[in-house]
Amino acid sequence: MSAFAGTLMNSSADLVTRVCQGDAEAFRLIFERYSRPVISFIYDMVNDRGLAEELTQETFVRAFRAIHTMRTETKLSTWLFGIARNVARESLRARARANSHVDLADKSVMDLSDNKPVPVDGLLSKELNELIRRSLAALDEDKRLVFTLKVLHQCSYEEIATITGFSMAKLKTDLHRARAEMRKRISPYAGVGYEV
Amino acid sequence: MKCEVCLESLEEYLDGELAAETSEQIDAHLITCSECSTSFATLNAEQEIFARYDREIEVSPFMWTRVAAHTVSESNIAKRGWLATLIRRPSLASAIALSLIVALIGGVYFLTKHKSPDSTIATTPSQIPSPNPVRESVQSAAPKREVIASQKKQASRVQPPVVVHVPTDQSDVLSSDTGYLDIDDQDTAKHIEQTQILLRSIKNVAIADGDDEIDVTYDKALSRRLLNENVVLRRDAEMKAKFPTKTLLADLEPFLIDIANLPDHAKAEDVRVIKERVQKTEIVAALVDYQDRGTIIVKE
Repeated sequence: MSAFAGTLMNSSADLVTRVCQGDAEAFRLIFERYSRPVISFIYDMVNDRGLAEELTQETFVRAFRAIHTMRTETKLSTWLFGIARNVARESLRARARANSHVDLADKSVMDLSDNKPVPVDGLLSKELNELIRRSLAALDEDKRLVFTLKVLHQCSYEEIATITGFSMAKLKTDLHRARAEMRKRISPYAGVGYEV
Repeated sequence: MKCEVCLESLEEYLDGELAAETSEQIDAHLITCSECSTSFATLNAEQEIFARYDREIEVSPFMWTRVAAHTVSESNIAKRGWLATLIRRPSLASAIALSLIVALIGGVYFLTKHKSPDSTIATTPSQIPSPNPVRESVQSAAPKREVIASQKKQASRVQPPVVVHVPTDQSDVLSSDTGYLDIDDQDTAKHIEQTQILLRSIKNVAIADGDDEIDVTYDKALSRRLLNENVVLRRDAEMKAKFPTKTLLADLEPFLIDIANLPDHAKAEDVRVIKERVQKTEIVAALVDYQDRGTIIVKE
């Protein structure tokens, strides 16, 4: 088999078919390909590293058990993000029920954003990374979800609608408001003065 | 196009979600309108900042092991067929085990009653005081035939002890190590399973020569939780005189303490030492063995 043919055999659709036929190696390749975006997405949602690992593991376990139910026209990444979203949401609900939710929209977020230098080139400073993390955590769940999927994971509106089950109107409204809130928090730091 | 219409659509334009025609109109407007053009540039800069957001989160090298333990290995068990079905369906296994025991007792009863009066009488402990009455009966059946013939009535009355003998023996085997019975306790069973998965992930972690640090945040947190559980369960087992369980849990503790005391980003060498100790002591095999025995007991 040529290298090109081998690559074709490893397309997401082929990997799904192979897993359904009992090929364990194919599922490992799916894990290798998608574990990083999935853990990043879950971390964006739950803002806890240890929990993000646990929920990523749960996401792939659920995916394996349900992969035979996946519709052929569905994109694998969209399907996995949908499971990850459900897993993260269940965890957030459980945490809210346990009254252990920590509201990170606290003073320290604004402290970080006060009159700091603007790092426009190269990697973001640690402070700006921390500011984005806290600002994300301060968004309400729906806004954080659409913002994360669109801005941080470059999903299309159609994919976001599939993952979240939101209407296009709600999705656009939440995304616009999330962007505005994020802008408000990071603009003093990053020198963004755009107003809508 | 008016500026307010342009500004309203600017985010969708940036996201590439507009129809081609509308997109072209905005293209044209941005060339001529410096105010909207500045707004778009700002929005674009903002997008770039988020694109460079670094969560500093990595996929732990242990994670695939843990996922595989719940997925691929389960799938492999499923392929083993009827045995796996029994493992996963304790009620079915119990029913089959019960049927086998009944059939065995019935078979023994049938043989002792209908086969030959010789063997029935020969297995009577009061008649032949041998440590292995069945074997003895086969060896000495012929010489004793006359004695046997004269005592047929008496022999038929002592059949019940022979029938009772089989379940008595099984009971001895199953309860020879009463400590295993505490696998019925779901907390202990779950604890053993989770500890086994943790140690298996440590045992299978891939450490390359160039690795300085390994992210063990999850394993450390899990180990701390399991350590607390382990102490409680070990004391409980000791109180109830379940010594095999207590010993196994005591053996686990040094591993859990070592993993719990690792920093989030542990030195590769420290992880390697624990990994080698897990391999050398075969603690994972001991846990699997314990679980297997527990499964058999539960089914019975």
